[in-house]
Amino acid sequence: MVKFVVRRLVQAIFVIIAASLLVFLGLFALGDPFASSGEKVVPPDVQAALRAKYGMDQSLPMQYLTYLGNIFTGDLGIDFRQRREVSEMLTAVLPNTLRLALAAILIDVIIGVLAGIIAAVWRYSFWDVFVTILTTLAIGIPTFVIGIFLLANVSGIWIFPVVPRSFTVEVPWYQEVLLPAFTLAIVDAAFIARLMRGSMLEVLRADYIRTARAKGLSERAVIGKHAFRNSIIPVVTYVGISIGVLLGGAIITETIFQYNGVGFLLFNSIRNNNQPVIMAIVVFGVIAYVVLSMIVDILYAFLDPRIRLS
Amino acid sequence: MDGTADIDLDSPAAPLLEVRDLRVHFKTDFGVVKAVDGVSWSVNDGETLAIVGESGSGKSVSAMTILGLIQSPPATFPSGDILLRGKSLLKMPEKQQRRLRGKEIAMIFQDPLTALNPVFKVGDQIAEMVRTHQKVGKLVAKRRALDLLGEVGIPNPAVRINQYPHEFSGGMRQRAMIAMALANDPQVLLADEPTTALDVTVQAQIMALLSKLQESRNTAIVLITHDLGLVASHADRINVMYAGKIVEAGSTNEIFYRPRHAYTFGLLSSLARMDHRRQERLTPIKGVPPSLARVPKGCPFHPRCRFATDECIAAVPPLESVAGNGHLAACVHSDQVGMANEERLAHG
Amino acid sequence: MSVGGGAPEVVPEQLLAPTQPPEAVAEPEGGAPTGDRVKRGQFRDIWRRYKRNKLALVGLGIVIVLAVIAIFEPILTPYDPKEQNLLNTQQPPSGEHWFGTDVLGRDLFSGILYGTRLAMIVSLSVVILALVVGITLGAIAGYRGKFIDTLVMRTTDIFLAFPFLIGAILVVRIFGDSVQAVIIALAILAWPTSARLMRGQVLALRESEYVEAARSIGASDTRIVLRHILPNAVAPVLIYAFTSIGVAVVAMASLAFLGIGVPADEPEWGRLIGQAIQVIQIPGKDYLWIFPALAISITTLGFAFVADGLRDSLDPKLR
Repeated sequence: MVKFVVRRLVQAIFVIIAASLLVFLGLFALGDPFASSGEKVVPPDVQAALRAKYGMDQSLPMQYLTYLGNIFTGDLGIDFRQRREVSEMLTAVLPNTLRLALAAILIDVIIGVLAGIIAAVWRYSFWDVFVTILTTLAIGIPTFVIGIFLLANVSGIWIFPVVPRSFTVEVPWYQEVLLPAFTLAIVDAAFIARLMRGSMLEVLRADYIRTARAKGLSERAVIGKHAFRNSIIPVVTYVGISIGVLLGGAIITETIFQYNGVGFLLFNSIRNNNQPVIMAIVVFGVIAYVVLSMIVDILYAFLDPRIRLS
Repeated sequence: MDGTADIDLDSPAAPLLEVRDLRVHFKTDFGVVKAVDGVSWSVNDGETLAIVGESGSGKSVSAMTILGLIQSPPATFPSGDILLRGKSLLKMPEKQQRRLRGKEIAMIFQDPLTALNPVFKVGDQIAEMVRTHQKVGKLVAKRRALDLLGEVGIPNPAVRINQYPHEFSGGMRQRAMIAMALANDPQVLLADEPTTALDVTVQAQIMALLSKLQESRNTAIVLITHDLGLVASHADRINVMYAGKIVEAGSTNEIFYRPRHAYTFGLLSSLARMDHRRQERLTPIKGVPPSLARVPKGCPFHPRCRFATDECIAAVPPLESVAGNGHLAACVHSDQVGMANEERLAHG
Repeated sequence: MSVGGGAPEVVPEQLLAPTQPPEAVAEPEGGAPTGDRVKRGQFRDIWRRYKRNKLALVGLGIVIVLAVIAIFEPILTPYDPKEQNLLNTQQPPSGEHWFGTDVLGRDLFSGILYGTRLAMIVSLSVVILALVVGITLGAIAGYRGKFIDTLVMRTTDIFLAFPFLIGAILVVRIFGDSVQAVIIALAILAWPTSARLMRGQVLALRESEYVEAARSIGASDTRIVLRHILPNAVAPVLIYAFTSIGVAVVAMASLAFLGIGVPADEPEWGRLIGQAIQVIQIPGKDYLWIFPALAISITTLGFAFVADGLRDSLDPKLR
């Protein structure tokens, strides 16, 4: 087991480094990332400072090492507009994205798992058909369409805050997070419901379920303990990866609802051509995703004893 | 062990487990599948009854019906009953049935790898069996599991109890299943092809284990299998099933040495036997077993039978006594079969 | 006697023994090249199975309509989709402008049609590009194994490490805003999955008996891969391709919504929505975003249905 974890860790580090190299090559090697482009003019002193920081006057390999060094020490540069530390900007919005991700996951796991189990256990019933239709639609309709729809029709009603709104309007975080979390949750809930249903259906056909019944266990124990424990495994994997994706910033959803998270920050930085911020967020997204994939793999081994020993 | 196959309903002592004219039909897209079509037998304490037949003969379904594992739609039970010491199982409410499952009647299955839950420890699964039917604490249940593992001959039970099914070998897994089945000292053990998935040497060990356990606990064993060889050394009585019906029943000796149904005769002719001379030809039974949605008219075996005549198509032959010692056969030509068998034995 | 609850322990399969002798098995396995007759029979079988799925037929209808629109768009549009008229912005649907006009005064109906063509071209290019690269690399990795396999696998790991949109944004930033950049960006993100799919298939099929047979008569590696493995491995990849087209459309729309990728003057569906969002709170302006949103949804659903239908009809066992 330990060997497995170590191996995965090494793999993760390798991927992060390689990916950051790609980002680096893309941005630095293919052009000056700190030059002015379009209408946004980058103040020359900022340009000079950034160029120095990133060692742009040195050879390419040195640049890369400086770049890596900067990342690992958390020094992500200064943004163009407000000259704040990028790392500060990032850590300011990160908790919001975390909250959003967790809220979305909570919603879609509860809904998805329950819907999936019910659809599988009462197969061919009205509920099963209902879930199948809903999930097909939810998967087919893109997240941002759902988001826009909610924005147009639901925001401003009841507890859902109005969007867009000015800075002066204070909205408590638990209200603010609702609509974007729900938007994100819908599609994932649909995937999870389908996954759970399929997994549960397969598990219910297994011999060990028959054995469990032959032991005289109540149906609740058969499904809630024996079947559930086996069928939840692929769902856990999916949820783990989902968290990774969400942490990378749900750009579209955050933008639609003007939710002040990592994704929204990225969107604004793109509009303002704020290179250091963009770069920092991209690398952060990669790291978050890779780390979570690794955790998911290890978790999978933990849940399924058959994998543990190979 | 003299094979008192008692289907006489007026007998004074009620048999331990009795199946009376059981029918299990399934409604499917292909029509009505008559998985079990009028089957009666019984078994007593300490006896081993073997139910023999090919896949699709309905042997597994009858066993699973006893334990209530057959889902009621799409299955229907147009007639018949199953009695445990006189109490009807089919008519019992679900809750009561559940109390019997694993306690009075237990079952072991064919493939122990898939029959055990892969994500729970073996010891926990056995302990679960105990705690479902006995009001004991976790520790007590675990100790019982430990004892059981030892009883079925698993070495190092203290270590094994915390392992997962895939860490066991095939034979050990089956032993673990047997341990689990016997956890609550059931009166009847249903064994559905318990050795089919195992190596031949392991098969012998498992069967020996079952015999030993039966002796010490006086359990009745219903052994379901397609392997006649297995049956020869371990069963007291045999029921031969074909297409959902019993076609022959009797003691082991009777069936092996004096078969009276064409199907049984065919089965035995296709077996290689150590006690016969080497030049004997193996004659397989031609054709394939019928789909249970389209059972042939009359005697279901007639399309494949070398003794078949028009009589066989006219009506289903009743299961009747052919030798007075509890030996029954459902064949119009049972005498002919008997003679053909004598011939075969004589010519080695 | 029943098991409570509802979980099915259906008719044990052995009871339904075959009604015909096992030798008379139906279709031959895909790929066994025994002449055109066999192939044509196969297609008919696949079509027959496909037809049974109503949703799949609906999806096919949608795809055909989309294709027709995409091809004949120049003839079908009543106005020039890019023609702006700042005096005529945000007009609700009317006899003159069936879908109304957008924030720049462009005819929405023409815009939607143009967007269809754009979406089809881009998504097809992306999928074809990704498939070509993915299938090739995946097949080589799967067949050769060892070092090349590890190399390809690690490379896919790296590309897959980028959360989808972030990676796309990055590439487009590097190459600038243009349709080509979008195609490249999406293709770069899409090829790893098809490569992995293909690799998995090839790995599984590599050990099958007919490959062994071909090898034993001295067939070269390329020949084996091309003639024996590829046709059988292709099925899941094909299914994936159709789903990918839908995904590509959404991805392109998402990028455009954010203002990235497709240039501002192109009335791409996502961009139309992005432009509409500024006025979304004003009641009565729903037509600005509903039509492009519907267009995106219908397209995605259509391709998803076709993919599902293909999955069931190409190999019923796959479900």
